Amino acid sequence: MSNAKKSVAPVADASVGARDTGKLSHRFQGSIQQVLAFASLLLIVVIFSVLSPHFLTANNVTSILTAATVTGLLALGTTFVIITGGIDLSIGTGMVLCGVMAGVFLTYWGWPIWAGVIFTLLVGALIGFTNGFSVSILGIPPFIATLSMMLITTGLALVISGTAPIYFNDTPDFQKIMNLTIIPGTRFSMGVLIFILMMPVAAFILSKTILGRYTFAIGSNEAATALSGVNVRKWKLAIYTLSGVFVGLAGILSASRLSSAQPTGGLGLELQAIAAVVIGGTSLAGGKGSIIGTVIGSLIMAVLTNGLRIVSVPQEWQSVFIGIVILVAVYLDMLRRRRAAAR
Amino acid sequence: MATDSTAQGPPSLLRIRGALKSFPGVRALNDVDLTLGYNEVLGLVGENGAGKSTLMKLLSGIYQPDGGEFFLEERPFEPMSPRHSQELGISIIHQELNLMPDLTVAQNIFIGREPHRFGVQSDKRLNAMTTELLDRLGLALDPTLLISELSVAQQQMAEIAKALSYEARVLIMDEPTAALNDNEVDTLFGIVRRFVSPTTGVIYISHRIQELSRIVDRVTVLRDGENVGERNMAETTDGEIISMMVGRKLTGKERPPAVKNQGKIVLAVKGLSTAKLLRDVTFEARAGEILGFAGLMGAGRTELARAIVGADPKTSGTISVHGSEVTINSPADASRLGIGYLSEDRKKLGVLVERNVRENIALPSLASFVRGLTVNTALMDVAAHRYIDNLRIKTPSTTQDLGNLSGGNQQKVAIAKWLLRDCDVLIFDEPTRGIDVGAKEEIYALLNELVSEGKAIIAISSELPEVLRIAHRIAVMSDGRLTTIIPNSEATQEKLMEYATNATTEAATA
Amino acid sequence: MNSRTKIATAAGGLAALMIALSGCSSASETPASSTSSTSDAPVDTPAEKPYVALISKGFQQQFWQIVQTGAEQAAEEFNVDITFEGPDSEANVDQQIQQLQAALDKSPDAIGFAALDSQAASPLLQQADDQGIPVIAFDSGVDSDIPLTTATTDNKAAAAEAAKQMADAIGNEGEVALVVHDQTSITGTDRRDGFLEYMEANEPNITIVDVQYGGGDQAESADLAKAIIASNPNLKGIFGSNEGSAIGVVQAVKELGLPDGQLVIIGFDSGLAQTDAIRSGLMYGAITQNPIGIGYETVKAAVAALNGETLPLVIDTGYFYYDSTNIDDPEIAAVLYE
Repeated sequence: MSNAKKSVAPVADASVGARDTGKLSHRFQGSIQQVLAFASLLLIVVIFSVLSPHFLTANNVTSILTAATVTGLLALGTTFVIITGGIDLSIGTGMVLCGVMAGVFLTYWGWPIWAGVIFTLLVGALIGFTNGFSVSILGIPPFIATLSMMLITTGLALVISGTAPIYFNDTPDFQKIMNLTIIPGTRFSMGVLIFILMMPVAAFILSKTILGRYTFAIGSNEAATALSGVNVRKWKLAIYTLSGVFVGLAGILSASRLSSAQPTGGLGLELQAIAAVVIGGTSLAGGKGSIIGTVIGSLIMAVLTNGLRIVSVPQEWQSVFIGIVILVAVYLDMLRRRRAAAR
Repeated sequence: MATDSTAQGPPSLLRIRGALKSFPGVRALNDVDLTLGYNEVLGLVGENGAGKSTLMKLLSGIYQPDGGEFFLEERPFEPMSPRHSQELGISIIHQELNLMPDLTVAQNIFIGREPHRFGVQSDKRLNAMTTELLDRLGLALDPTLLISELSVAQQQMAEIAKALSYEARVLIMDEPTAALNDNEVDTLFGIVRRFVSPTTGVIYISHRIQELSRIVDRVTVLRDGENVGERNMAETTDGEIISMMVGRKLTGKERPPAVKNQGKIVLAVKGLSTAKLLRDVTFEARAGEILGFAGLMGAGRTELARAIVGADPKTSGTISVHGSEVTINSPADASRLGIGYLSEDRKKLGVLVERNVRENIALPSLASFVRGLTVNTALMDVAAHRYIDNLRIKTPSTTQDLGNLSGGNQQKVAIAKWLLRDCDVLIFDEPTRGIDVGAKEEIYALLNELVSEGKAIIAISSELPEVLRIAHRIAVMSDGRLTTIIPNSEATQEKLMEYATNATTEAATA
Repeated sequence: MNSRTKIATAAGGLAALMIALSGCSSASETPASSTSSTSDAPVDTPAEKPYVALISKGFQQQFWQIVQTGAEQAAEEFNVDITFEGPDSEANVDQQIQQLQAALDKSPDAIGFAALDSQAASPLLQQADDQGIPVIAFDSGVDSDIPLTTATTDNKAAAAEAAKQMADAIGNEGEVALVVHDQTSITGTDRRDGFLEYMEANEPNITIVDVQYGGGDQAESADLAKAIIASNPNLKGIFGSNEGSAIGVVQAVKELGLPDGQLVIIGFDSGLAQTDAIRSGLMYGAITQNPIGIGYETVKAAVAALNGETLPLVIDTGYFYYDSTNIDDPEIAAVLYE
């Protein structure tokens, strides 16, 4: 019996290749998620508008945006970290520390506002960098690494400020960063504008730059990414540092709003920010997510909180409500993913 | 050992001389030579553990050799890392694909090499580059699809495209057709044909012997870490290849003692299928008998065991215990019905390494040691001692941490825990893996004792000599199907390997 | 040295260093965290002037400094010696316990105490009781039966006063809302209930449209207040039950750009931001506790106890209402802090 090699037909057939649903498929998939999230937001807005005529007024809408600004900035930054499959519990207290450092720079040391702002952003970046170092170089799991950073920043904020608020009375223009009215006749403030401007910036970084690309790659399959020759450690470091810059910015705006740095304020904001990211469709397992999703998630959280207050739902029920919304949003997202994977 | 064909012949694309690689306790490669010529597809075959993947890991820079010389295009080369090997012109496509499921085809292929300007990269250019590459390779794949949206075959195409995009000279493919249907295999062969040229070559690793003749020019056979021969494909037969793969002399006691208590059918499996691999598996296990399961890695034996005990879901099939059909949805169900399973990965799935001996032994039967509200450790001790004596487990006490015991004794503890549970059917998956020769014999003796007490044992093993040593009847699996069940007296290594590689049609004429 | 010796030396040095450092923070050494009044604390003197040791919840914070002032006034008036100490922060339970221990070691005639952690303090208080030393609790007091009395603010009455002022300010009719700091602490619930009960009992034409909780966080309270204001366009006044809540309400008004005085805001406690707001007209007025009274009454009660008088269970140290008209009066200015 001979094993003479049989010839093989040359490859030309397109049967192995693009499916008919092809090009639109995954973009559509991602869009479905975002459309759904947006639809939920619209639904919530409509419901509250019906329940109360005071909801959809210009003033209240800007109030909602103002309330969403600080947490929203944290959420934008931490989206990157979560997409890599990590998590950052220190963003809330890190923000508080940055606010305190702004107070140190501007009030204790008398620096000009622009210098204080820049250095506060650097402080935020440093916090992020330290987290990144613990996670990617020392190999500590992100939960633990950022949990300990959370405690460190809480303590530092109290120690540096002497447990008392630091007022920005020497630099009265500082509060303008958050509060300056941009559109006369409305309550639309600079802080909200900054938040809105950071959205396309974050989106651009995530979708168009190498850093954004590697954020997804690392979250999707870190081992394969490393094996493909990408310096995963360096990029993780960069991603956490980027998130830290957002933390610094949030700290500036939060201190600017009250014209004081409150060392005990802002507790629990990290969980709100993470909830916003998750509601927006970013998976805590990593590899998937979007900035639009995070923005919508932040808005949903802010709208819900405000709306429930406007219709005077008792405080206790507000938290129950929001908790259930988060659960439902994540569960629906998991279902959708499971169905997509089983195809 | 030394090749007889191309010692001083035409220049070779890749030449390995005297490769040596050892790991603690085992010599994986012993003075192996290999030559790949230009314009050639070289098949590389061997049993599990023969050294194929070790050799390939040396070539792709994942391991460093302990000895030997490597030449690429007649020039010495030493790949220090996977990336380095890639740059030198060797592309390897592993069995487990190295892809990021949430990124697109284009993004995966060019990860780490994206065209960018100041850190901003353009998907448009990336997709254009990918389309051009895919066209050149003759692959019809949409670069904008996510990897997670592709079929396994398409994912493999993407991986191949990625490997080829590095301007490789040598392409190494490890079991590429494992998950493909016939159409897809044809397409794959087409790609391989297109790649082979006067400046390139392919090393093709596969256990599907009859496939080789369609694509391979020459074949090199490895066995137990040595090169046992090379043949031109046109001048040899499947039977000869198989013979070379398994052609070792069997030493020691060769056959199991006669069955004493062979009795009733304890476990009957009919038409068992699973979504991923198994197709219509039917067999019976009898009391007093060791039923061996032979086959290559990936044949489905472990999957079969897991499906029987309910660790994985099945899509069809029935299981009967002592004649009555039962429903098993979880290992707890199986355990209650008297079926015990010792998994092949002892440390991960078989024992609790951080816990001590008596806790391990008592684990499946823990409920029976509860008195009142608490677990009675004195009773656990009594039971543990019984088995320590019976199985001659070497441990200073019942409270010794399991991690401190030798591999053989850990295995005995794993066995003891199922004995305590008083199972009628015991499924052993690679019962002597990682255990030294002396301990192996003890385990074999133990198995014989167990069946002489009337138990039924299913022993899955990838070591053909071991299967022949202990099993009264031998079932062979290949690609998810049960290809045969034959009595030990009719079985030889070659025959088992034929069944395992599905070369049965040639068996009669080999 | 071989490595073992090196380690031992290092360990010994480290231990010595730690002992020295802890010694530095112990109450009896640091002058910064304690002070005496007219004369040095006598150690083991026969009955000259009685000596009362006061341990409060903090020391450097202005509030406690004012309490100390009141205590010193009483000491002068009743002719006793006092020491006044407190830990560096309200989180520093260990430090407070050490101070209490040190005070007990001096065998004072009476002790004044505001516990950070009642459980942790109870063995020492028991010791004081066994030695026949009367304990007077102040401010948030102690959760224990041992103190003879507690000198503190009657939060309910203080909040009722706020309600009264609010009612006057809005002409006894209209809609009012509350931003409370929390609903689990006594101060939170007492102040809320005091305000609500007053309105319920005395002002039939005033409607409470909302009560929300902002945790005392300024930003949170600001967002909260904005929602309340948005949904109640006829709102006339808001009561903020502590410093953070009140400042949050002020912030909300600023951000909404409401003209000064359109909304009557009444706050609680003081702090620079609140006092500034009152001066500028953004806030209508606020209730302040009487920290001088707290210090004073504690010492006074100690003296009474030493004289064998029976004491009421609670001594109401009082509160003041202040607004732009009286904020600079000496009486008010004395109890305000920044």
